[in-house]
Amino acid sequence: MSKANWLIILLAFVGCCSAANAQDVVLVANKGVPISTIREADLRALFRGTKTRFPDGSHAVPVTLKGGPAHEVFLRNHLDESPADFQAQWRKAVFTGQGVMPKAFDSEAALIEYVAATPGAVGYVSRISPQDNVKPLAALK
Amino acid sequence: MPRPTSLFLLACICTSALYAQDLSDIHVHGFVTQGFIFSSNNNYLTMHTSAGSLQWTDGAVSIADSLSDNLRVGIQLHMYQLGQLGGPNVDVDWASGDYKINDYLGFRAGKVKTVIGLFNDSQDVDAVFLWTLLPQGSYPIDNEGFFLAHLGGEMYGYLPLGNRGGRLRYDGYVGESSLPTDGGYVKQLADTGFVFTTAPSGKTYGGDVRWETPLRGLMVGSSADVQALDGSSPEATLHISPFILGAQYAQFTRGKFYFAGEYDRAPASGILTVGPAVIPLPLDGRAWYGMGSYRLSKKLQLGSYYSHYVNKALDTRLPANYSKDWVASGRYDFNSYFYGKLEGHFLRGTGLGDYTSTNPNGLKPNSNMLVAKIGFNF
Repeated sequence: MSKANWLIILLAFVGCCSAANAQDVVLVANKGVPISTIREADLRALFRGTKTRFPDGSHAVPVTLKGGPAHEVFLRNHLDESPADFQAQWRKAVFTGQGVMPKAFDSEAALIEYVAATPGAVGYVSRISPQDNVKPLAALK
Repeated sequence: MPRPTSLFLLACICTSALYAQDLSDIHVHGFVTQGFIFSSNNNYLTMHTSAGSLQWTDGAVSIADSLSDNLRVGIQLHMYQLGQLGGPNVDVDWASGDYKINDYLGFRAGKVKTVIGLFNDSQDVDAVFLWTLLPQGSYPIDNEGFFLAHLGGEMYGYLPLGNRGGRLRYDGYVGESSLPTDGGYVKQLADTGFVFTTAPSGKTYGGDVRWETPLRGLMVGSSADVQALDGSSPEATLHISPFILGAQYAQFTRGKFYFAGEYDRAPASGILTVGPAVIPLPLDGRAWYGMGSYRLSKKLQLGSYYSHYVNKALDTRLPANYSKDWVASGRYDFNSYFYGKLEGHFLRGTGLGDYTSTNPNGLKPNSNMLVAKIGFNF
């Protein structure tokens, strides 16, 4: 196979990866959060309320968007749930006395502002800019 | 105050109450539901369902506050009317302090929901289910108040089983629970002439272990609850020796699909003493169900289940000692707060939910039912 063919295959692969990533959300955390990567299983547990701490024992504060494409993409890609199923799980926790719902925001800007100001906060948005005072988290399979 | 102004202020208060409040980390949530049942034959659940009945209203308000990262307190007030059961009284559904040392160990104390099987602790929270009536062999709605919660304490936590082992959730509890005087069991005793004005009660303890397996979406679990009961009325005394209610269950969720199944067994030995006469109350309830559902769209979910119940302590050929129910359900979420449900039941046997006082002319062995509900929650 010629070098040109290899290059085309490589570019196609990179393009596919970019397209896949473009449909995902960016996980964001307060800059004081002691991790830069998180296992998908731990991410699911955090947002389902069954895990409340980071590996160093510090308290985690998951926050969500109230709705919209980023909310749906996050739930589909990382929790394998619909918004209705996610809401039902939290209703169950609330009405059985086993938990309180995560704080939910109308806009991504409000969510980023809260994450930046709240120790332990972790959330998701469609994109971040260098001016946002938060750190990105990478989810590991 | 002028009447229009009063109405305007009332509307403002009601409107603001529709949304969850989050004032200084105090969380306020609530729900209200209204149900309707029409049955082809027998009157079900103490309602006159053969003529269509709307005597099914349910509502609750919960307040919770996180006092620190580890400590949370809360209370939920609940009222329900189900035919002649329940009533206008507001009960404390749960009220507890919850201290979580870490993810592996936490404690709750107060009036705490009892974890048994897949749905026992949430069976009165209509908003979380597709089903209007849960499988009645395992979760009889007319008697939900008995096993629903206990006064006492609970320890709970999650144990990781390594990267490939999944996770284990455990609950262990001890306390006391009682038969509500406005519930189904006491109503059945009253129908036979024994009126208990104070709630029969007894010690309870038990536990639940559920394994979130490495296969994503698959959870299996097992529960055991030990319960005893004693009570007295002017006419009789009731004694049920400690018995074990066991439940084994599994649940699988993948994308838009949901499947679950459960097997429960409750062998209890009860005695009703009336003067010198001792009346045995034989019970060996065995129930299982299998259910599945599919989410057709963001707003519409459809599903079906089969629920099977027999009292093995009696002649299981008699309709009064079994209940077999095929069910088809649909739920439509109009928005995040408001939903409607429609459900068809094809019921064989009269072992659950049928009362002599609302069926004075006797019971027919089979009945079909249409059940509908609208609900609002915030």
